[in-house]
Amino acid sequence: MPLLEQIIQLEKEALERIGNSDSLDLLNAIQVEYLGRKGKVTAVLKQLKDVPPEKRQQIGAAANKLRVKLESLLKEKQTSFADLGPKTIFDPTLPGTASRAGAPHIINQVMGEICQIFYGMGFEIAHGPHVETDYFNFAALNFPPDHPARDMQDTFFVEGGRLLRTHTTPVQSRILAERKPPIKIITPGLCFRYETITTRSHVAFHQVDGFMVDEGVTMADLKGALVAFCREYFGEGLKYKFRPSYFPFTEPSAELDISCFLCNGKGCQLCKYSGWLEILGCGMIDPSVLEHAGIDSEKYTGYAFGTGVERPAMLKHKITDIRMFFNNDIRFLRQFT
Amino acid sequence: MKLPYSWLVELSGSKWPAEEMGDRLTLCGTACEDIEPTARYFDKIVVGKVLDIKPISGADKIRQATVDIGKEKLNLVCGAPNLEVGQKVAVAVIGARLAGGIEIKKARIRGIESSGMICSESELGISQDHAGILVLDDSCRVGKSLVKALDYDDYIMTFELTPNRGDSMSAIGVARDIAALSSSKISRPKFKIKPSKEKAGKYLKVEIEDKSACPRYAARIIKDIKIAESPWWLKKKLLMCGIRPINNVVDISNFVMLECGQPLHAFDLNRFGSNKVVVRRARKNEMFKTLDEKEHKLSPEVLLITNGKNGVAAAGVMGGFDSEVRPDTTDILLEAAYFNPAVIRRSRKFLNMTSESQARFEKGIDPNGLEYAIDRAAYLFQELCGGSVLSGMVDCYPKKIAPRKVAFRPQRCNDLLGTDYKTSLMKKVFKDLGFTIAGSNAGTNDKKLMVVVPTFRPDIEREVDLIEEIVRIRGYAEIPDQVGNIGPLFTPIHPQDKFKEDIRRLMTGQGFDEIMGHGFDDSRLAALVNPGQPLLKISNPNSVELNVMRNSLIPFALTVMKNNIAQRNLDLCLFEYGKVYFPPDARGNWREEYRLLILVTGQTQQTWRDKSRRYDYYDLTGVLENLSSRFKMPKLEFTGSSIKCFDSELSFEVKCDQKVIGKIGKIDKAIAARFDIKQAVYIAELPIPDLLKLCDNSRLFEALPIYPASSRDLAIVVDETVKAGDIVSTVREAAGKLAEHVSIFDLYQGKQIAKGKKSLAISISYRSSESSLESNQVDERQRLVVGSLKKEFNAEIRDK
Ligand SMILES: [Zn+2]
Repeated sequence: MPLLEQIIQLEKEALERIGNSDSLDLLNAIQVEYLGRKGKVTAVLKQLKDVPPEKRQQIGAAANKLRVKLESLLKEKQTSFADLGPKTIFDPTLPGTASRAGAPHIINQVMGEICQIFYGMGFEIAHGPHVETDYFNFAALNFPPDHPARDMQDTFFVEGGRLLRTHTTPVQSRILAERKPPIKIITPGLCFRYETITTRSHVAFHQVDGFMVDEGVTMADLKGALVAFCREYFGEGLKYKFRPSYFPFTEPSAELDISCFLCNGKGCQLCKYSGWLEILGCGMIDPSVLEHAGIDSEKYTGYAFGTGVERPAMLKHKITDIRMFFNNDIRFLRQFT
Repeated sequence: MKLPYSWLVELSGSKWPAEEMGDRLTLCGTACEDIEPTARYFDKIVVGKVLDIKPISGADKIRQATVDIGKEKLNLVCGAPNLEVGQKVAVAVIGARLAGGIEIKKARIRGIESSGMICSESELGISQDHAGILVLDDSCRVGKSLVKALDYDDYIMTFELTPNRGDSMSAIGVARDIAALSSSKISRPKFKIKPSKEKAGKYLKVEIEDKSACPRYAARIIKDIKIAESPWWLKKKLLMCGIRPINNVVDISNFVMLECGQPLHAFDLNRFGSNKVVVRRARKNEMFKTLDEKEHKLSPEVLLITNGKNGVAAAGVMGGFDSEVRPDTTDILLEAAYFNPAVIRRSRKFLNMTSESQARFEKGIDPNGLEYAIDRAAYLFQELCGGSVLSGMVDCYPKKIAPRKVAFRPQRCNDLLGTDYKTSLMKKVFKDLGFTIAGSNAGTNDKKLMVVVPTFRPDIEREVDLIEEIVRIRGYAEIPDQVGNIGPLFTPIHPQDKFKEDIRRLMTGQGFDEIMGHGFDDSRLAALVNPGQPLLKISNPNSVELNVMRNSLIPFALTVMKNNIAQRNLDLCLFEYGKVYFPPDARGNWREEYRLLILVTGQTQQTWRDKSRRYDYYDLTGVLENLSSRFKMPKLEFTGSSIKCFDSELSFEVKCDQKVIGKIGKIDKAIAARFDIKQAVYIAELPIPDLLKLCDNSRLFEALPIYPASSRDLAIVVDETVKAGDIVSTVREAAGKLAEHVSIFDLYQGKQIAKGKKSLAISISYRSSESSLESNQVDERQRLVVGSLKKEFNAEIRDK
């Protein structure tokens, strides 16, 4: 049979077989039979070299056209079969194959949660430098030089005459110096203290401080805001108590304890058998802090509070070693995806 | 500070049980942290008398003793060197449970039956002393329970005091708070000195050179004392306060300090070296030996008590060795002084030593309280040491410190607290605290009270301090909770905070875990990763591993990787959004900035249908491209650059809009090895301020296309050195603005291609916003593309 006719014959035959095929296996077999290395179309192409030159181009073009046509038809039909899934027995118990999402660091999550609650109460988030001046970190906050209060916050000093902030309260000093009341701010961030690294203490930790200054702000407002925060963060139904404390930048000052949520105040290891957990320090902004910033402390009053982030995170998530946070073992991080 | 409950009861007259007393004190700011029964280990301990001691053959450390405990005589094995016949001792009988978990059972030691134990102070939980057994006073009756014999049934209350409350660092100080809380009065012990005819002034003169550092210095002289052991009642008080009894002179000084808060110091008068006390600043490099036998080279920071020539005490911190009271001391010079708290603080810092006295001076004592203290001690020297108290107190007090008058407006107090207290109630609180209200001639009127604050409360200087006293005594529970004072109406969110959240979402969404650094670095590792870059050094580092602030996020990320690899967490996709710090520049400007670090290492997750592969450079650039498209930044470019921490073959600057905005590469092998890392690590680090500047937050809508796209694929073979980025640019240029997307979707090098060549498959999608493209329009563009590729790169077009 002349080659051209063979090609026409092959096309007719192949199209019919492809059209009738009902499985991927059959299609694959057809592909091999026609287009494989020893396939029928390939055989025609191989014979081209014996064709007289004047006819070769015409026949060659026809053979190629057939090859392309079959290829694309086969591909289309194979795809339609493949879409029906693999021809294995469907196993719904195989694990799904979505890629996993990463975990935001737990401290950032906790800090975010705390800020969110205060944001809901109208506190704006503000930041300041970690390397601070003595003035903003201490002096403006009524830590006089040579005052025992400075020993409450063991300090890292850096070369060049500054220090690593020991709390985020210097952001309060900066904002009070810059803005006019009403001011309602929350200041989350990293702080540093000269401590030995143990399961309970580290050289770096996070704090969320907040403060409000306006006309007529009272201690009752402070209590209201903090109680609302604790209920939201630790859950309804807990008991709380404020007891006097001392911070140079607030007067009167208080410590807020909440009833231990693990034992409901009965006493357990978490609360060292006291039934209470220390959560945050707070107080009315000391008039000298306002005066330092050029705010009339007769006209304006304010409150301030501050809480660590690691400690509530450890309490709430029952994490026993503070070093886990900076160790960044992914098995730890991924528990809080 | 530890104080026995009974002492507080004695001074305050309180009837509160210990637990209640502790709670109430805590709620008024005198925090009671712990209450412990003193006789916890005294059950089944009785008084015994040692009748007989015999050696045990073959044992030289232990002996056997016969001890009479009243109803029987026990045979006991004892190892204490101080055991003697005739002593009264504390005997733990079978069933007793001692401190440290020792339970007394019948035992055989070296074949000898022992049915009890003779106890040391530490076994009874009285002190840490376990050198020998506790020898009881001979007045203790044999067979009596130890707790009764020693009158030891009490509670020890531990107080955690805030640094502003120097006044509460004594039994009387705490009792004052109890009295204020219960509207009662404290009762100080009554005593009477019988002074000798001789006058103290004959032996002593006091001169103060630095009157602001030492506003008051007083002394008494007591002669003919006999140093001995203190009586049990005194030792017991000290033991309960956690202070080790030494001898009657030292014990009396400590006892009076614990009682009223005034530190005292006793010098040996005969070793004092002169009859003159001179209080002055130490000279530079002046040498001084403290009684713990340490030599100090002083500076004028230290206030020195001298005998006119040499130092005899570092004022308020520690006495000197030369004039220390010794067993042969007979005459003493007793010092009671008031030093400026800030001066003591500086001395203490300079000397780097602390003491019970220093803690009290530093927090501020009562300058007018020292007569009581010095008389009380003198009286006890008279009673307990047989001393003769010389008449008169030598007192140098150039400028008397008077009680402060502080104006107080009841309305202001209510305004600040949000309370509704009546003025009469506030006055009562002040009265209960021992404050008085000055009369109208001193400025008191209906709206303002002039409150006279005794000198034992130096912390109260201002109206607000008095307001705190009101809330402290009334309790915070009386202040209402109020929600409603809203402040500013609008709460903005700042772009940096939003950006940080957006980045965090973007990164975690792509499977990256967030790590968090503490800001410190090891200078050696920092210099290795970032040689020659300035580092902000910590002046007082607490370890060499944390001696600088980091100037790059890379060393910490590698440390985190090291920690993870040690736990066999080998496949990591991490990011950190953290700060780096720099020393001040030449103009004194300090700088710290947030950076984003991205790290990949190890293998992708393998599933039952996807094979895993190694993470590499392109995983990082992919993330950066996602970042740039999320924030509509101009196109990122990666240009080769030799960055020290990276492998020279894989080290690039990230550029955007012609500016360098970060670096990306593969960590150099030698550096990785310093972190015990063998596997390939790819890291990118980008300063956030640069990224933030390039963000386009306008996020404008682009109309969706109306006409269909027409796409063409093209396979070319080029030299392997030709860059894909250049090919894409050439294609874009040739295809003109009809080319909507150009992408590389396959890359092949191998058997079917000549050596030194590579095959790339390019997909070009053409679209016009004005009409459907005809296939000949597209073909024409495609011909131009092919032409350009041939011309520019000598590309060979592969037949498809
Ligand atoms: Zn608990």
